[in-house]
Amino acid sequence: MIWRYILKRILWMIPFMFGVSVVSFLLIQAPPGDFLTTYIAKLGESNELLDQATIDNLRARFGLDQPLYVQYFKWVGNVLQGDFGMSFEWRQPVNELVWERMALTLLVSMATLLFTWAIAFPIGVYSAVHKYSIGDYIATMIGFIGLATPNFLLALVLMYIGVVYFGSDVGGLFSPEYQNAPWSWGKVVDLMNHLWLPMVVLGTSATASLIRIMRANLLDELHKPYVDTARAKGLSEFWLIMKYPVRVALNPFISTIGWVLPNLVSGAVITAIVLSLPLAGPLMLQALLSQDMYLAGAFVLLLSLLTVIGMLISDILLVLLDPRVRYD
Amino acid sequence: MTDERASGPPGAAGVAPQAAIGHSERDVAIASQWQLTRWAFRRHKLALVSLWVIGALYLLSIFAEVVSPFDPTQQNRRAVYHPPQMIHFIDRTEEGIRLRPYVYEMDRQRDQRTLAVTYVPSGEKTYLAFFGRGDAYKLWGLFPAERHLLVPVNPRDGFYLFGADRLGRDMFSRVIYGTRISMSIGLVGVAISLVLGVVLGGVSGFYGGRVDVLIQRLIEFVLSLPTIPIWLALAAALPPDWPIYQQYFVITLIVSLVGWTELGRVVRGRFLAMKNEDFVIAARLDGASEWRIIWRHMLPSLSSHIIASLTLAIPLMILAETGLSFLGLGLTPPAISWGVLLKEAQNIVSISQAPWLFVPGGFVVLAVLAFNFLGDGLRDAADPYGH
Amino acid sequence: MKMLLRATLAGLTAAAVSPLVAMAQGQAPALAEMVAAGTLPPLEERLPTNPEVVAPIDSIGTYGGTIRRFLSGSNDHNSFLRFVGPQGLTRWEADFSEVIPNVAESWTTNEDSSEFTFKLREGMRWSDGEPFTADDIMFFVDDLLNNEEFYPTAPARFVVGGETMQAEKIDDVTVKLIFAAPYGTFLTELATPLAQEPVLWAKHYCQQFHPAYNADVQALVDASPAVEDWPSLFRLNCGEVEAPNRWSNADRPTLDPWVVTGEGYTAGSTLVMMERNPYFWKVDTEGNQLPYVDTLQWGVAQDAQAILLEAIAGNVDMQARRIASLANQPVLFENAEKAGYKLFQRTAADSNDMAIHFNHTHQDPEMRALLTNKDVRIALSIAIDRDEIIDIVYQGVGEPWQIGPLPQHALYNEQLGRQHTEYDPDRANEILDAAGYDQRNGDGVRLFPSGEPIVFNVNYPGVETPQHGDTLEIIKDHWADIGIGLNATSVERSIYYARGEANEHDFMVWGAPGGLDPTLSPRDVLAVHPQASWFAIPWTRWYLSGGSEGIEPSESMKTRLALYDQFKAEADQEKALGLFRQIHQMAADEFEIIGITFRPSTYGVVNAKLRNVPEALPGSWMYPDPAPTLPWTYYYAE
Repeated sequence: MIWRYILKRILWMIPFMFGVSVVSFLLIQAPPGDFLTTYIAKLGESNELLDQATIDNLRARFGLDQPLYVQYFKWVGNVLQGDFGMSFEWRQPVNELVWERMALTLLVSMATLLFTWAIAFPIGVYSAVHKYSIGDYIATMIGFIGLATPNFLLALVLMYIGVVYFGSDVGGLFSPEYQNAPWSWGKVVDLMNHLWLPMVVLGTSATASLIRIMRANLLDELHKPYVDTARAKGLSEFWLIMKYPVRVALNPFISTIGWVLPNLVSGAVITAIVLSLPLAGPLMLQALLSQDMYLAGAFVLLLSLLTVIGMLISDILLVLLDPRVRYD
Repeated sequence: MTDERASGPPGAAGVAPQAAIGHSERDVAIASQWQLTRWAFRRHKLALVSLWVIGALYLLSIFAEVVSPFDPTQQNRRAVYHPPQMIHFIDRTEEGIRLRPYVYEMDRQRDQRTLAVTYVPSGEKTYLAFFGRGDAYKLWGLFPAERHLLVPVNPRDGFYLFGADRLGRDMFSRVIYGTRISMSIGLVGVAISLVLGVVLGGVSGFYGGRVDVLIQRLIEFVLSLPTIPIWLALAAALPPDWPIYQQYFVITLIVSLVGWTELGRVVRGRFLAMKNEDFVIAARLDGASEWRIIWRHMLPSLSSHIIASLTLAIPLMILAETGLSFLGLGLTPPAISWGVLLKEAQNIVSISQAPWLFVPGGFVVLAVLAFNFLGDGLRDAADPYGH
Repeated sequence: MKMLLRATLAGLTAAAVSPLVAMAQGQAPALAEMVAAGTLPPLEERLPTNPEVVAPIDSIGTYGGTIRRFLSGSNDHNSFLRFVGPQGLTRWEADFSEVIPNVAESWTTNEDSSEFTFKLREGMRWSDGEPFTADDIMFFVDDLLNNEEFYPTAPARFVVGGETMQAEKIDDVTVKLIFAAPYGTFLTELATPLAQEPVLWAKHYCQQFHPAYNADVQALVDASPAVEDWPSLFRLNCGEVEAPNRWSNADRPTLDPWVVTGEGYTAGSTLVMMERNPYFWKVDTEGNQLPYVDTLQWGVAQDAQAILLEAIAGNVDMQARRIASLANQPVLFENAEKAGYKLFQRTAADSNDMAIHFNHTHQDPEMRALLTNKDVRIALSIAIDRDEIIDIVYQGVGEPWQIGPLPQHALYNEQLGRQHTEYDPDRANEILDAAGYDQRNGDGVRLFPSGEPIVFNVNYPGVETPQHGDTLEIIKDHWADIGIGLNATSVERSIYYARGEANEHDFMVWGAPGGLDPTLSPRDVLAVHPQASWFAIPWTRWYLSGGSEGIEPSESMKTRLALYDQFKAEADQEKALGLFRQIHQMAADEFEIIGITFRPSTYGVVNAKLRNVPEALPGSWMYPDPAPTLPWTYYYAE
């Protein structure tokens, strides 16, 4: 039963990703001009002269003179063979450019997700159990201030304070000495030292909504008859809450894997630019701005795939954990 | 398919005693849904305060021309990075103590080498007048006027409650005009989301089956596309010589994309749950058309939830607008929004030389907080029989 | 070459000394150890018999240390070029006054400046130890430049009279470059940052990617993902003159003072390290091999603000790029002492920070009639209160100015630079009334004869040049006083260019180069640049296509373009300068473009312990600062 469900969902992903590829290709192509327009613009800034023949040469070299559908099928055909093409801007194979960034993106997103859970879970439980208490107000207030502060502002101000008053490193994920070093214990520690800032900046916005979900769901459960029954049986209040209602209320937490990941990746673009994080977002943004089609396309496809897989995992977990949820 | 993600509690029938504190049991039993909601809402103090804050912000935006002392785009070479001024009321002069508003005039000094600007009191006072004459304007583009809430008596004097920016433009006026744009982007954006979300979510939840699957896939599809390229494509599609109000409309459309999927999910969940409620079945047995069932029976009982969800969507749109501006994809100067103002302040120079440029950030936080608390209060209240 | 680019700049002294016997030969301790261990040949085998001898501007240095710099965004590869230097056949004298030998030891020119014979340095080596000879230049000319698969169209700088440059090998260290027609500016052209191609590619390494030398190149192409043909493969591995891939292959031999290590520079880079080239072919006056500094460390910051933050935290050792601006100046000064850096002045080589290019080829006849009326342009110019703009937007730094060479330049033309900069709105109103635009609508805006209001719509790239937006907002107020409307909108850069190239603009705003490099960047006085001579894009098309496309220019412009063709062929420097004086005078009389203010000088940061860094240096793309100040002579004092 469950296997059939999973299989069905995975099969669904095929037309789904096809749709994503068409739409992302069109979206990338939508802005006026092409990569060469931006390239000419850039050369023009440095006062370089390009004659029309050279421009046409480059356009032919990049295949930009072909009709849209030809470009699309050429791209998709290569992608299916695991070749994302050549980045126009970097003149390097896209495959060499994306993987490390994607891996770090996943790492930062996961770390942020754990951080968010670690904060939101106790606060959510507390404010549900102590509804409308001073503590509830303070806890939700802190969560909401995190949500309400624009990430880029928070990031820049925290970074400025860190650098000017505490002499810390400016952004990034590693200190210079570990930047290009192979993985070692020291590098992991160094990463941890740098990870907290993006984690806090990125996590603040998701925390508030998780607190709210946790609180609302737990409140629902707390007033169910079985809780009263358990209480009547003399179970300690802590176990009473932890044993059943919290477990049930956890479902929405699990389902967050699906949407927190894409949110983090998109939201992280802004933060990553300010904090100079080597994540997928800033590179994707730049590729989009310069209309570096294959590089941008690779990122859009991979991030969409990540989202779809995230949703699938969260759905499967939900089915496994909560027998009330139907699958058909 | 699993759909119970984070949807609200089921609207169970029955009397919930807490909701009715202060009202007799009989009152509660016969009270309409709206009355119950109102009673419950009043208990939520933070939400009440938030309602006042939001009301005040919208009032500011409606009367932006009157409240702001200056034209928000007027540069002033004598006020570059002018710090904020405190308004004083008790005026001690040789003739005695008088009660009238004034600020201390400041003179600009610039270090020729470092280019740092400092302001020193000139010793003069700039007197202010309530509803004095200032820059001429047209209220709502219709009524010519020149009175402002609080302006210098001499129109050539400066008065900078929130300081001035790098071009000597009055930050207070800019924030007020920014409030107008940003607060209304949220409102209009939410209206678009509402239509999309309710129609698609409603249809999906009501009919179920294939239609439901199709619409669910659509929502999933939109959710799984990274937002940045969507924003970028739409922003790039913006013809550059469009006037500001047209740009504004497109930006609103873009931010409304952020909200409708979530709203669609909520509406769908509620419809699914309600489809088998007694009163819907009764109406159906009564021979009411589907359209009538949706509009007359189901939507009204949903409206409080929808309003709550909408309220929670507005702050997301306000934040989305600031994010778009940061990426350079949103409104651009000379348009003024909170996002545009924050984008202009987003640099080290502002933090270290002119921290008052971050005042718009305070407004963003305030508005987002207020909408969130209001939404929470509304949601708690919308479930009068809940807990 | 003397006189051509004379700029009187204090603080810079001549840095190259003609052959001088270098006796005491020193090298970096790390290299000495390698020599002792036998893993590196001794110094005398690594240096050419006649290395370039460079006189440091302050003192002879000591070896060691790391210079830290930052790249902005992901695609900032020209920052490497500007520090490591375009090691071409010729280079600029440090004061930007003349062209001197670099890779070439010397040269001779034939009578009509169409043949250039370069003598190379005997015994000079690539960074992998292989000899650098005339064959490398022949490889470029014969196998790349004249190969239609590699260059379907050759770069414009190597084409004269429709014929691509040819080469002839005299011996291993002598090579003759031959053009079909006189090319008086060729040696100057070779000193520009992207003219390094003749000595960019090492034949012994790059030939493996060339079908003429490797019959199996197709197998390599097939084995490389995303590579479809051999030119792509070649460029991927051997780099292009202006692309990030030039800095991404640590195996590629170079002539640079420092070479990339490890992964090099890719889109994923967060830090790029460069190490000294043990075969670098320059020495100081005591014969010590350069560079003094061991390594260069390049951080990558997405946002320019992060670089500024790194600078004020003391993490940047020598940089102006992305942080030197008037707005940042107070912050840079404030933190100098605490962070342990000094400031150096970057003297802008540009003429004007913002020039207004009225579209002389406007598609709308009424607008064209307005904009091609010189009196109207004068009125628009004198209606601008430049002092106010300078005070607000430029922090009080600057002087009202139009375009053209700066006063310290030999070609300075006072009329071109200073005419019609006085603020006189009353006279502007009179001029416009007299010009026939005396009707106004209810809002006080002047009307075209057809009754349409005169309103300019203008775009500017707000991300790159936000100060232009600020300036335009002020000009909007000024022009409102003379009844001219202005709507300024910030747009994305490629949209800005697309509209300009489509000739859809009323006017364009952009910086005007040519302050200290007027002959290299003449695009504001000559319609020669299809992506920058915004005042008449169709004229540039006419010129570049030899009259078959675009629109025929005005008589004055046609005369100027003819003079420019003479200039390019002219070998006699005095005559060449005379031609340019004529061009400038005609441009001054036509008054096609107006400007606002001098581009202000700005300040970059330099580690307080770093020596041999000038206190002031010219900043320009044509003088790709700071490379001409010889960063390989920078060193850390104890």
